[in-house]
Amino acid sequence: MTTSVYQDHVSATGAHVARKPWPWAKIASIVLLLVCAVIMIAPFLWIMQAAFSDAAAAYVLPPRLFPSEPTLANFQAVFDLVPYGSFILNSLFVATTITIGQLITCSMGAYAFARLEFPGKRILFVVLLATLMIPLQVTIVPQFILMRQAGLYNTHAAIILPALVSPFGIFLLRQYFMTIPTELEDAARIDGAGYFTIFWRIIVPLSAPALTTLGIVCFVYWWNEYFIPLIMINSPELQLLPVGLTLLRGRYSAGAVGNVAAGVTMAVIPVLIIFLFFQRHIIKSIATTGLKG
Amino acid sequence: MVSRLLPQSPLRRKEILAAYLFLLPTLIGSAVFIVGPMFAALGLSVVQWNLLTPPQFAGLANYQKLLSDTRIDDIYLTTFKIALATMAIKLLLGLVLAVLLDQKLHRWLSGFFRLSFFFPYVVSVTAVALMWSFLMNKDLGLVNYLLGQIGIERIPWLNSSAWSPVAVVITDVWKELGFYVIVFLGGLQSIPSEFYDAAQVDGANRWQIFSRVTLPLLSPTILFLSVIGMIGSVQIFAQPQILTDGGPGDATRTIVMYIYEQGFRFFDMGYASTIALSLFVVIFILTLLQFRLSRRWVFYQ
Repeated sequence: MTTSVYQDHVSATGAHVARKPWPWAKIASIVLLLVCAVIMIAPFLWIMQAAFSDAAAAYVLPPRLFPSEPTLANFQAVFDLVPYGSFILNSLFVATTITIGQLITCSMGAYAFARLEFPGKRILFVVLLATLMIPLQVTIVPQFILMRQAGLYNTHAAIILPALVSPFGIFLLRQYFMTIPTELEDAARIDGAGYFTIFWRIIVPLSAPALTTLGIVCFVYWWNEYFIPLIMINSPELQLLPVGLTLLRGRYSAGAVGNVAAGVTMAVIPVLIIFLFFQRHIIKSIATTGLKG
Repeated sequence: MVSRLLPQSPLRRKEILAAYLFLLPTLIGSAVFIVGPMFAALGLSVVQWNLLTPPQFAGLANYQKLLSDTRIDDIYLTTFKIALATMAIKLLLGLVLAVLLDQKLHRWLSGFFRLSFFFPYVVSVTAVALMWSFLMNKDLGLVNYLLGQIGIERIPWLNSSAWSPVAVVITDVWKELGFYVIVFLGGLQSIPSEFYDAAQVDGANRWQIFSRVTLPLLSPTILFLSVIGMIGSVQIFAQPQILTDGGPGDATRTIVMYIYEQGFRFFDMGYASTIALSLFVVIFILTLLQFRLSRRWVFYQ
């Protein structure tokens, strides 16, 4: 299976430029890739046909790409059953706020670690990196109690506040800031610019790629987050989309297939559109950093 | 440079002040929401508290409970089995697909493959788990229908203790595979072609090139993926929660689901914290172990 990769190298050796035989290895590998691609895509197609089918036809076998009598009833039902519009708005609000917040706090912190000298710098940086090791499950119980005591349980603040700080984001941005040459800053300093001016006018504009990466990774993570809203939010009208989707199943998971399928479809389509537009950047951002909030 | 000035100089003091102002949000945030709760969890592990009555000091009772809890052994075992299976499959399949993708393909074709492999990774885990819960329905699901076409009997994916962990693994592999493929692909493409040329000159065949050149040069990528993959897989929660709710019995209950159950369904804050701390220790040891073992097989250029 690995053979096809190095074909070009091998054929480049010979003086005999005779016509190459059919590249069987290459064809086989493409067929295999196509099979995998179909396995990745088919579930989405299935859920979409179920979303447009009436209750009796959703599970029809053999599966069809298009329902024989397409209906929008499931989509209507989604909005009748749960506050779906609120889920979307809540998720947008929470993910956007956290992303903007992280970009601000992380770039500020990263600037201090990358460019300024102060007592305790080393130890603070080490402690911050060490917190990356602490699993969320350890801190979530005390956070839950804290939010209850502060009267923030069942509010978006309970999700947003702890997420405004990201040691991972600081580390990511610090690494990038270190690569920016200091000449510009030195020149600005001679002109009398203060630390904030240098940070805001020089470092931030020069760091657009790193900030975009952190922004994308952070937004995707919080748009999809399930565990924390499940714990911190109780009222359906305040719930975020990932947990909201599961509410469509109803008690004892007895909800109609079509309704859940319609809810899932509406959640997936916007992601698909954004993904198609920015796929290069999204894939690169997530692949270089891993998906971490 | 400013930093070389004496500590007493006003410029120096200004820099220190600026640094702490820049760090202020981070310091407050991590103290209140990470470091504080970390110590609070330690404190909670020695109390009994259900949030309704005042907390009571319980000594090591929670730790004793942890050691004598018969459910937790099975739950940890299930978690490790699922984590190991999904990680092994993702690493192996991810590598194979990345190698297949790392060849001259038409731009559209390779773009299409990347897109279709990676897309499930950016979709929310809830949407994915809900989708697969329908696809793996025993009587009406697409998976059993397709298996039926090749003569395989219907598999009770979600309601048998033998198959439900498999269902969790399939769902997780399907969602996360694209990430592994893309990261492996990045690793493959960063290998300089001189290595291949040299191997060719020495008359190595394709398998030898792969096993003696590609794999060793890819070993740091493999280590990176197995470390973050392990940490993530041991904490798997949403897939089993939505697919099977841990069932049947505890067949797919993972350790994070157990923390959730104890803490947020039974409101046993002390015991939930104790289990969470045990998970911390487990993750710490596993990570350490991976780095230790990596000295034997990871090769840095």
